Amino acid sequence: MNGIEQSLIGGVEGGTAILLPSLGELIGELSGVINLGTEGCMLAGALGAYAVAVTTGSALLGILGGIAAGAFFGLIHSYLSVYRKADQLASGLVVWFLALGLTSVFGTGYVNDSITPLTIISIPGLSKIPWIGPILFKHDILVYLSYALVVALVVILKKTRLGLLLRATGERPEVVGVAGNRPALVQLIAVTLGAGLAGIGGAQLSVGYVGNWFNDMTSGYGFIAVAVVLFASWKPARVMVGAYLFGVVLAASSVLQAHGIAVNQYLLDSLPYLATLIALIAVSKKGGSNAPEALTRALTDTT
Amino acid sequence: MSIFSPLAPKQDPPLDDLVNHEVEKKFSWSNLYRSSNMTFLLILTYIGSFFLFGLVALARGANPFGVFGAMLQSSVLNVGSIEQVILRAVPISLAALAVAVPARAGLVNVGGEGQLIMGAVAATGIGVAIGASVPGPIAWVAMAVAGAIAGAIWAGISGVLRTKMGANEAVTTLLMNFVANDVMLYLIYQPWRDKFSSGQPQSQPLAQSAQLPALFGSQLNLGVVIALVLAVVTWYLIRKSHWGFALRVVGGNQEAARRAGLPINKLLISSMLVGGSLAGLGGMLNLAGLEYQLVPGITASFGYVAFLASWLGRHDPIKVVVASLVFSAIALSGNGIQLGFGLDGSIVDVLLALIVMAPLFLSKTRKAAAK
Repeated sequence: MNGIEQSLIGGVEGGTAILLPSLGELIGELSGVINLGTEGCMLAGALGAYAVAVTTGSALLGILGGIAAGAFFGLIHSYLSVYRKADQLASGLVVWFLALGLTSVFGTGYVNDSITPLTIISIPGLSKIPWIGPILFKHDILVYLSYALVVALVVILKKTRLGLLLRATGERPEVVGVAGNRPALVQLIAVTLGAGLAGIGGAQLSVGYVGNWFNDMTSGYGFIAVAVVLFASWKPARVMVGAYLFGVVLAASSVLQAHGIAVNQYLLDSLPYLATLIALIAVSKKGGSNAPEALTRALTDTT
Repeated sequence: MSIFSPLAPKQDPPLDDLVNHEVEKKFSWSNLYRSSNMTFLLILTYIGSFFLFGLVALARGANPFGVFGAMLQSSVLNVGSIEQVILRAVPISLAALAVAVPARAGLVNVGGEGQLIMGAVAATGIGVAIGASVPGPIAWVAMAVAGAIAGAIWAGISGVLRTKMGANEAVTTLLMNFVANDVMLYLIYQPWRDKFSSGQPQSQPLAQSAQLPALFGSQLNLGVVIALVLAVVTWYLIRKSHWGFALRVVGGNQEAARRAGLPINKLLISSMLVGGSLAGLGGMLNLAGLEYQLVPGITASFGYVAFLASWLGRHDPIKVVVASLVFSAIALSGNGIQLGFGLDGSIVDVLLALIVMAPLFLSKTRKAAAK
């Protein structure tokens, strides 16, 4: 196995931890609410999943714990920003801080515990394809879940009334209200669901890819996930590409290190953030016009 | 208002509507009732914050009253800790002002952390290089200038990305924090590593003369005075100066600003530059007045605490400084909880978040009252 293949495999494995929160953030932003607390929801999801996995001995059940923990913080954020009209960016960051504090307080007990992480499932037949097989079809269950989610989201957004309702809420909540729906409720549910996905993303780290829990273990992945959505101009397929791109950058830096290539570890560590920034710069100008209108309004209303 | 062209079309709404900010109201009993009502609600929600925090402590098997006692004990009940609170409030309040200035123009600067770090990095570079060979005051000024410039550049990048590329500044400033931290770690672990120290990697310490001396036999130093002066200057700049007024117009209504012929992009970038230089200076004062050398985690998340403080003070420089003092005390009191109850010191982050949630929770009520 050479370095490039290793980076790609790791890119999908680690990229999934960014992809799931990004998809969740996409759902929320399409409804008109940005969640900078995605980082906190991931962190909570990582601990929630790990705690349940330690208690029940099942990493699969842990995923449910991750969803619940992430969704809980998403609920706080969406309640504050939708029903209490708080500034979305401030509310998101406060939720992140809350999650940061709570996970370090309640997580100390789990630092020395160990778990059996999610098993790697090789898809029969597909995983035998040279190159593509090991890269795409030899992963834990959450990776396959993320594939399914991308497809499901594309279909739901394009073909169903539900998708229309979500997008309409993100563009013109007043109109959705006049039509007899409850835009605030749509936003609350969208953001909470999205935060649940962020929680699964955290679970992908704690009970999957990394297989361990430590304080602040998401180290900014949640913020990268938010940036990926902007980078992808709110399109699910592009979110997938973006997330894997950063997954590969992450994986490549550890592969480089493993091969003893003399690059400073901390400079490598900064690569994903730099890559995100550069990607944002590259697409920002034309992507902006694609933004859901209610989101743009919420972000420019500074009173 | 002189900045509005006399040729502007007559149907323009009056300025107060355009800027739709806290318009000063004449005194009336109903206003007094409304504002005292708001204060009352705010106090109630703050009590709620402390109550919830108490529940968290209880859930970890600690007596909430004991925890509050330990927090007071380790922050404000003796002179030594009060001085520590004030010293730590210096970087916090400067980084909080770095949030407040761009907020005036409607920008969200979450990059206080990175700007503090870069300020400290630049100050270390200069301080270690010349600190031993020039008189103290020259080293201080050089370090302060370097720190302010570094902070301004770090924030300015996000300002330019916002104005030229339309990249959301909240996201870019956040990402820049992580880059700043990695840059600092790189320097500490390799080129700047102090070869004579064992254990944790750190930079060389500043020469004695380059460290800010203590004042009046206390632990306090010149940094405290500088922070206070800068708070007043910032207050003047954003409340009383032409520049501050222009920022407020841009932040309130960009369309009005455009029609008035204000240089919107220049104003936005300048607010980030001023903010960043304040935070950079905060990083320098933290280094030269408290830490004396670059160590991993030197900012101790002060940049984020500062962001919360600026929101708590509703971006009003004077209130922001008060909020920074309170948050500095709470942040420091984490030590007391850790020592007394064996709980992770980060439990205070929970309290900080809950406190800022109070005004966020009341946003709707406040917006309704403003109408």
